[in-house]
Amino acid sequence: MSDFEPKIIAFCCNWCSYAGADGAGVARLQMPTNFRIIRTMCSARVDPEHALRALAKGADGVIILGCHPADCHYIGGNYRARRRIALLRMVLEQYGFDPKRLKLEWVSASEGEKFQNTITSFVNTIKELGPTPLKEVG
Amino acid sequence: MGFFDRLFAKKKKEEECCECADHKEEKKAPAKAAPVKAAPAAAAPVAAAAVSAKKEYVNPMDAFPLLPGAPPGGKIKMAIYWAAGCGGCDVSMLDTDERILTVGDMADIVMWPIATDGKEHDVAILGDKEITVSIINGAVRNTENEHMVKLLRQKSLLVVSYGTCACFGGSPALANLVPGGKDEILDYVYKQVPSMKAFQDMQSAPVLPQTSVMTEDGEVTLPLLYDTVKSLDQVIDIDYSIPGCPPTQESIRQLVAAVADFVYNGVALPPKGTMIGVSSKTLCEECPRKKESRRITKIVEPHEIDVDPELCLMDQGILCLGPATIGGCDAKCTRAAQPCRGCYGPTSIVSEMGASVFTAVASLFPVLDKDPICGEDDIIEIMSSVKDPLGYFYAFTMSKALIRRSVVEKKGGQ
Repeated sequence: MSDFEPKIIAFCCNWCSYAGADGAGVARLQMPTNFRIIRTMCSARVDPEHALRALAKGADGVIILGCHPADCHYIGGNYRARRRIALLRMVLEQYGFDPKRLKLEWVSASEGEKFQNTITSFVNTIKELGPTPLKEVG
Repeated sequence: MGFFDRLFAKKKKEEECCECADHKEEKKAPAKAAPVKAAPAAAAPVAAAAVSAKKEYVNPMDAFPLLPGAPPGGKIKMAIYWAAGCGGCDVSMLDTDERILTVGDMADIVMWPIATDGKEHDVAILGDKEITVSIINGAVRNTENEHMVKLLRQKSLLVVSYGTCACFGGSPALANLVPGGKDEILDYVYKQVPSMKAFQDMQSAPVLPQTSVMTEDGEVTLPLLYDTVKSLDQVIDIDYSIPGCPPTQESIRQLVAAVADFVYNGVALPPKGTMIGVSSKTLCEECPRKKESRRITKIVEPHEIDVDPELCLMDQGILCLGPATIGGCDAKCTRAAQPCRGCYGPTSIVSEMGASVFTAVASLFPVLDKDPICGEDDIIEIMSSVKDPLGYFYAFTMSKALIRRSVVEKKGGQ
């Protein structure tokens, strides 16, 4: 399955990561096109339910991008987010998913290049893992 | 005085004897309730102020009269079926006290495996919708469950999904998390457990249940187990659901009252899809415990600590699913110092109960001073204090989760 093109859902916080993604676009940085961005006001707005729903509907990976620690527009949103994502990762592991299918990364508004690198490496990780195991279960 | 009243009264008495400085602060409030045993009448108002044990028990059945003999249009037919469940739901119907005896005046019970002699044949010979109400408890886990619930649906005017297993999969649905499905379960139960291992060692070949065996007298069959346990509404159309493990007396009263009103007085039934016996808000709205710090620094089990009778269980570090569970049970567990395990299922606006609970729980872990500089490993270490999150947060709702069973990653990817 060398032609496997993963479907990735990326949740980007409005204040840092979405602007970072925008910056990457404006700077015409090249990166794989396997991801679809969903803009949220904060990384803490991403309910674990959203990530689970993405996986249940056939996404091969979910990446959540937020402001750097101590940089959150809402002061402590990203601290909440990473506690939830840590718990969600434990849940996914118990389901039998490879925990690498879920990623949390910090990308600031000025880090277009980091956005590019993060997405590229995540797409490569998912390509190595192969398609979501859920499809076979139906 | 119930069991827990006595338990708490005793505990408080013990605390009163303790004169050490450490306990003086906490002594103030609870000590008042101690003399309950000696002078119950005088102590009653004081007792009412404290939480767990002081609520006077009112039997909801007292407000509900005995059924008045045969209905004007003749007896109705009724069926109660036990699918993949523990049987506790069947027993809970006896919570109708002496009214259970008059149900026989209102209805012919065509099937109730735990109590009557009705068989599949007795249901199959009936016309469509001839049974007025079928109450089905338990999840759907094998071919027999599926056949019977489909048959009962065809023969019944109303189907009630009774109990948590029927509504959300319940504990049986945790079997969905066994990666190998039914084969792995059967292998473990019939070959691996020590008692069976000794038996299997004596056989020439492993003995496992077969769905069909030919004997001298003909074919003998057993139902086929499914890999994935389903809730009742995933298999058939249902009219009402009553959650609870098992449903409370009040829920049963509401169901019997609605059916009796329909049968005797021709009063319209509640609209299809009604959840009986639940409130519109979460359990926390009903729970009398005081919420204070709302921060978890250490997770404990109720037996590991001296549970404060008035303080929120979450504040004491006990994982309680109350914030994400729909109310209606009158917080029976939290009043008895046990955390809510979520048997009533999610509120109407939440579809994924487990995720909704652990979102709440994760937010209760306080932000630390080192948070801006600590790495992901530190966070994982903090959150690892939650043991078995999938099993705990989805204990009753696995069949209704977004991802309903475990998955197996292909190792090596491509």
